[in-house]
Amino acid sequence: MDPSRSIVRKVRFDASPYLFILPFVVFCLILLLYPVVYSLALSFRQATVETFVSGDMPFNGLTQYQAALADPIFWRALLNTILFAFFSILFQFTIGFLLGLLFQADFPLKNLCLALLLIPWVSPVLTAANIFKGLFNEAGPVNRLCHLVGLGPFPWLADPGYAFPATIVANIWIGFPFNFILLYAGMRSIPTDIYEAAKIDGATFWQRVGYITLPVLQPVSVAVLMLGTIYTVKVFDLVWIMTGGGPANGTHLLSTYAYQVGFSVLNFGEAAAIATLMVLLVVLLNLLQLLLQRR
Amino acid sequence: MKTHTLRKPLFPQLIFIGSAIAGLALANARAQVTVEIVHYFSVDSQIEILNEIQKEFEAANPGIKIQYTYVPFGELVSRTLQMAAVRKPPGISAIDNPDVLRVAKAGILKDISADAAKLKIWEDVYPGPKSAVTDGSKVYGVPVGSNSLALYYNKKMFADAGVASPPATWPELTEAATKTTKSPVYGIAFSAVNTEEATWQWEPFLWSNGGSLTDLDSENARTALQLWVDWVKKGVASKDVVNWNQGDVPNQFLGGRAATMVMGPWQLANVQKSGVDFGIVTIPVPKEGRKPVVPLGGEVWCVLKGDSKVEDAAMKFIQFTQEPERLRKICDTLNYISSVRSIAKQQGEANQVLQPFVDQMDTARARSQDGGASYPEISLTTRTAIQKALTGQATVEAALKEAAAKIKTILAKK
Repeated sequence: MDPSRSIVRKVRFDASPYLFILPFVVFCLILLLYPVVYSLALSFRQATVETFVSGDMPFNGLTQYQAALADPIFWRALLNTILFAFFSILFQFTIGFLLGLLFQADFPLKNLCLALLLIPWVSPVLTAANIFKGLFNEAGPVNRLCHLVGLGPFPWLADPGYAFPATIVANIWIGFPFNFILLYAGMRSIPTDIYEAAKIDGATFWQRVGYITLPVLQPVSVAVLMLGTIYTVKVFDLVWIMTGGGPANGTHLLSTYAYQVGFSVLNFGEAAAIATLMVLLVVLLNLLQLLLQRR
Repeated sequence: MKTHTLRKPLFPQLIFIGSAIAGLALANARAQVTVEIVHYFSVDSQIEILNEIQKEFEAANPGIKIQYTYVPFGELVSRTLQMAAVRKPPGISAIDNPDVLRVAKAGILKDISADAAKLKIWEDVYPGPKSAVTDGSKVYGVPVGSNSLALYYNKKMFADAGVASPPATWPELTEAATKTTKSPVYGIAFSAVNTEEATWQWEPFLWSNGGSLTDLDSENARTALQLWVDWVKKGVASKDVVNWNQGDVPNQFLGGRAATMVMGPWQLANVQKSGVDFGIVTIPVPKEGRKPVVPLGGEVWCVLKGDSKVEDAAMKFIQFTQEPERLRKICDTLNYISSVRSIAKQQGEANQVLQPFVDQMDTARARSQDGGASYPEISLTTRTAIQKALTGQATVEAALKEAAAKIKTILAKK
């Protein structure tokens, strides 16, 4: 073979693979990257009703961020977002994991139960939020149940101290099937002979869970936790419908607060700044998780 | 056969096709002005009346086409701004009245004072709705119609509790509410949710007491908020009011869990359909002799700055909606009180139960009178104070003091 010919063949530029991914790249640039960059740019500009229309939106550096950070409601919303994410994921993951273990066993109507468990995940958040609003009503079913055991009535949605946990409960209900189904699938992929070998060696059920299921499941768990964090930090509709961020701004998350600043007060710049800080929070939380996993 | 056709001279066909194209182009040129109207009307009856006006208008004005664009309530203002920002403004935006001056401040609304003055009904428009669209000598729109808040009461519950006549003053209202409260029934239902609804529902009490959103650190404001707080504290109103929106309140009333409710005329059809024996009275006032001052609801047809042809066509459409008979029909269908005095009077006569709403029109106030273009931000601050006081997070005095300080900085900023 003539060596020079093979070199030419190697060097010749073949555009076809790039053409194949071109639609995707264009899609990403227009629909994903542009809005993010635009929002980031907006957060450094004085974008209010007046400047937004005239289009001059003067650059004013960190003014929006300073305004957001000086606002006590922002800090409340930030703290709420973190607590909301922490407790939601803690319970969603635990419930999902325990259910996954349960479904390793065979029992009658298992497939039906599996399908039923997915209902919270497939039901629209709008519906779920309205149902929870009804459940937590002063005269609603939750208080009636409490009454039966001699407690309450509690001001579930009428007091910030109760309303915030109530929104978390609702979010746990919506999110646990997602954790369950991924963890369940991960558990199914663990070869049964490992368990059998451990059993023969005399390992108890919880030892098998602790020494086999959890370590083997780690990559899946990391993915579930990361996705869970992203999903939870960006929750908006659930809280917006259940409480509107109230009472007394006690249940605002960064998402609902950004919406209120953006669309109620029409201060687009500050809303963009809050949204940017929210994205930063997601990145930070995920980095933290990765660090903890590494150790 | 084929070859024969091909050999035929093509001239006649060409002339025919050519003239057809020319005809179409001509027709197109004549109908080339399109007025896009952005709005958030979504109830069937509202859509029907909009379509009906469109059909009549297009028949009377062959050169103009109307095109409706629906936008959800919460996004109307931002969408209108957005369209104007990319130089594709709609012809008309049906803006909620407290937002009009705010949007006008962005410089995208056309001053239609000259055209408005030419409208037959303009002289007869109530001062409240007029002030919502007026900034100095400039006029930024014509009201679609108005609504406000009054007190609905359950006649049977009143009779059972021995309340002889519907309340006209605060002490009477508190007394009636206390008497009718009997688990699971609350004496009064209102909305104090963390949206504009809370401010809007509190304003009748604040304003009838002589207060203002721009001066919340005052005795007038404190007694008006204390009234609400006391109802919740004494249990004549549910603690859940801080979470009820204006859709939840009528559910309480119709479900027999509230003896009275603060509500607008848009719920009238629902209440009538339910079979509840009810009456409506004007918002009770602090003491006898005072006049109820309620906030105005309702949208405004606003013309956006743009192509002068579209502007003119848009104004034509607005004029068309303001012809008295048509205006009456629109307001009746939307369950609005007309912003025009003579038509509102007719509505009250035709439907006695609406009369309290008509009576309140004379003194009704535009929300943007408190703070003008800053109203949305002021309202946000106010409802935080309302919710803080109602949930016991702060005393009435502390909550209002904090809000008043914040509102002062908002007003200084502008």
